Amino acid sequence: MNNLHDLLLAKPFGDGAMELLLFGSFALHLLFVLLMLGTAMIAVFFFAHSWLTGYRFELRWDKRVLRIHLALKSLAVVLGVAPLLIIQVLWSVPFLTAAALLAPYWLGLLVLMITAFLSLDTIGHKIEVRPVRHLIFGVLGLAALMAVPAVFTAVLTLMENPDKWARVAARGLAEEPVLVFHWLMRYLHILGAAALFGGAFHFFFSTKGAEDRHYHLSHWMVVAVLFQVVVGVLLLGSLLDRLTPAIIAAVSVGVAAAMVLVGLAFYRGSEAREGRMKIALVLLPIILVSMLLARQFLQHQAVAPVQATLEARAQTQRALLAPWKASALQGFQAHLATVYDDGETIYANSCAFCHGDGGGGDGPEAASLIIPPERINAVRAQRSYLYQVVARGIPGSGMPYFTVFDRAKLERLLDYMNRQFGMVSPPPAQTHASDPAAAARVFAGTCATCHGTNGKGSAFGRGLRPAPPDLTRYGLTPERAFAVISNGYDGTVMQPFAQLPEATRWGLVSLVQKLRRPGSGPD
Amino acid sequence: MSIALVAVVHVLISHGFAIGLLTLIVLMEQLALRRGDGELEDLAKHLLKPAVIIITAVGAVTGAGIWFTVSVLAPQGIGSMLRVFFWPWFIEWIAFTLEVLVLLPYYFLWERMRARRAGLHVALGWSYVAIAFCSAFLISGILGFMLTPDGWVQNQRLVSAFFNPTFWPQLALRFLGGLALGGLFCLGMVLFSRKPGAELRRRVMRLLGGWILAGGALAALAGWLYFSAVPRTYSVHKVFAVLTSHLSQEGWLLWLGNLLAVVIIAGAAAAALFRLRLAARLLIIPAMILAVGLVIEFERAREFIRGPYLMPGYMYASQVPLTRAEQVRRQGMLSQAAWYAAQPPGLEPRAPAGHALFMANCGVCHSIGGLNDIRDRLAGRTQPSVGVIVRRTEQMVPFMPAFAGTPDEALTMAAYLYELSGSRRSMEAVPPIGRKAGRHE
Repeated sequence: MNNLHDLLLAKPFGDGAMELLLFGSFALHLLFVLLMLGTAMIAVFFFAHSWLTGYRFELRWDKRVLRIHLALKSLAVVLGVAPLLIIQVLWSVPFLTAAALLAPYWLGLLVLMITAFLSLDTIGHKIEVRPVRHLIFGVLGLAALMAVPAVFTAVLTLMENPDKWARVAARGLAEEPVLVFHWLMRYLHILGAAALFGGAFHFFFSTKGAEDRHYHLSHWMVVAVLFQVVVGVLLLGSLLDRLTPAIIAAVSVGVAAAMVLVGLAFYRGSEAREGRMKIALVLLPIILVSMLLARQFLQHQAVAPVQATLEARAQTQRALLAPWKASALQGFQAHLATVYDDGETIYANSCAFCHGDGGGGDGPEAASLIIPPERINAVRAQRSYLYQVVARGIPGSGMPYFTVFDRAKLERLLDYMNRQFGMVSPPPAQTHASDPAAAARVFAGTCATCHGTNGKGSAFGRGLRPAPPDLTRYGLTPERAFAVISNGYDGTVMQPFAQLPEATRWGLVSLVQKLRRPGSGPD
Repeated sequence: MSIALVAVVHVLISHGFAIGLLTLIVLMEQLALRRGDGELEDLAKHLLKPAVIIITAVGAVTGAGIWFTVSVLAPQGIGSMLRVFFWPWFIEWIAFTLEVLVLLPYYFLWERMRARRAGLHVALGWSYVAIAFCSAFLISGILGFMLTPDGWVQNQRLVSAFFNPTFWPQLALRFLGGLALGGLFCLGMVLFSRKPGAELRRRVMRLLGGWILAGGALAALAGWLYFSAVPRTYSVHKVFAVLTSHLSQEGWLLWLGNLLAVVIIAGAAAAALFRLRLAARLLIIPAMILAVGLVIEFERAREFIRGPYLMPGYMYASQVPLTRAEQVRRQGMLSQAAWYAAQPPGLEPRAPAGHALFMANCGVCHSIGGLNDIRDRLAGRTQPSVGVIVRRTEQMVPFMPAFAGTPDEALTMAAYLYELSGSRRSMEAVPPIGRKAGRHE
């Protein structure tokens, strides 16, 4: 969960105007959503109905309905962009919080919509497919389509209940039965509205000269209205503590208009069809607008105080942060001026804080590591080996992998490190008095346990984290090698061998140097 | 990743179909009208149907889908972007709506309008193309801003934000690239469709071959101009951006892939131009796949190289505004977090604070157990070294933002990440420090 709480940039314009814009664009969007969803329901239901009642499939009408669906769906989708845009600016925090809390469902919308549209387009364009396939695509498309408002209503419901966010974040939506009940009613109310609007739309616009369809659709609408009455009452019941006179007034107007609409559907008088259509054309927007007004009042009431608090906080923050602006910009300019493309820049930024500017293993972070960073100015190794270390890192130590830089960059880094510290040059031969025989004995008896007899590392050694370096490809200056043999390497299994006679230790240095492959200078 | 997938599908459809293919269909209709060529008109109409279905069912939904995904993954980022670009996005909405309002009658009324007012129908088609161009214009401003917001950082004016340094080359690239991509899709359909007769197919192939070559060459030029306008700080990371750390050491793959794509696409176009149907049929499928690859490459590089920033100069990829970073360093991230205490149960070991810090700092790019898994990134590191990495992210990896939080919080998160990366084993193998040497002979 992101810790979203406020946005420091100011809103582009006033809340009042934005709410107005939200209302207008949402009404437009919802109108097409209801018509689209209702149309899909009607297409699938009546196809199944005509099949089951044995009066063959009324595909001509179905085709017409489905072609309308393609147009309606396209408009519903694009018209949805504006309300989504406005709501994310107007109620940024509540909306984005609710979407984040229901993230899996919210992201699932995509799959649902694409499935729904492609399925319904399939039967819309290949209308004469076999009835079974027709029904399968229809039911699949419709089911996916009907799931879409479930997600949207869930997000809006959660958005309008800020007091529940923390609990939903901790325990999930299912643990809030009151909220779930409210959401369910809200969702069913949308489905009912879609059935009603889709029904009315086709009742008035696509049943010309077809009395039986006219008749069926009038029943469809009555059922839809009855459904809406039941669900509407339950929905209002879940909102009792939030009702204000304005909300009650808006809902009442909507209910009255819906009743008149149903009356019209049953009116069998001699009056011309066109007359009834005109009345319906006025009534439908009245129902939509009044119900949406009620919805917007409720939303404002629930969400505005939260958002206002956060905006006020953001304003205080803006003032508090103003003094940092200049230094933040300076940091940004410095970042823009740093191009990680040459070895020097990469070393200075990515390596020096551990290995030190001079490669002495004494960068500012060195002290915080249990295994001290390598003194790379004392390393004398094959280039391919160093490349491998830089690219893959050393598991078990602080050295991370650096494949975050492409190969060309790493090669430039190695060029630079070699120029600075001579890392790739062959190690100078050690010149101190030594005891080769004792050294050989110690190496075989002790060192080989980890380093292997040939210096490449024994099976046991390679299993260590960090594993010992491959001495046939990696070495140190004689002084550094002597120091490591005498003092060990902190934090690793490399023990100090200071108790050995000095000549034995110098002998070990020579021995190790001889392990380097013949001719294994710069690789 | 989900953003990327949705975005690529959307770009392919919006550029290839909505801009490219539709422009070609209108052009074909225009030519058919001028020459009285009924067969060509039929072909144009035949191509329109799948285009409309894909644009309205998948293109439009994925467009909204990018938004859905971003609003979950980077809410503060999208919240801030919307406040800067409210009006362009609002105008874009009007453009979208007009696009659909023009496309629907163009599709549904084809026959009726052709019979009576053919000229008007073609005009409707061209007005669709004009609106699609407006759409590309608007989106180029917004996308360009996300990489090169230059003037806006100082003056916070919309005009500076919109007409940013990469605006014009990006607009040219998107529009011309869209035309060429549409040409490829169209060529694929024409080559494998049984609809056009042999003679018509040869004519259309010639048209499409020239179209793809010209469009592609101009798009390549625009692409070059685009990358020249991107600051070097960003552009040097494009190899990694495309190949990711798995393949970043094989940079030649990128250049070979691009070369191959150019050769195959140009080959397919040339085959069409010279009406070699068999060669064109052989090349068109790989050409389309490689063109999709080029689109993915461009979008991935564009998104990634801006590195530690979500909005350069204003906000880090971790959604912490630059000006707030200092405050967070002093006061801490958790003291301002809305509800980290309510973090999910079932995490072993339970570490709500570490988890909340991880989600706030790293969650936009890294996951636990998913893509770019943080456990893989830290596998094999010792606990103190995880601490160093956390403290030094911005310096060490130029496209990672600095840790936002107090030093104590950095330690808390490092401890949590160390536990998570399951690398305790490495410490068990380490003997205690300052031990006495034993006998070794």
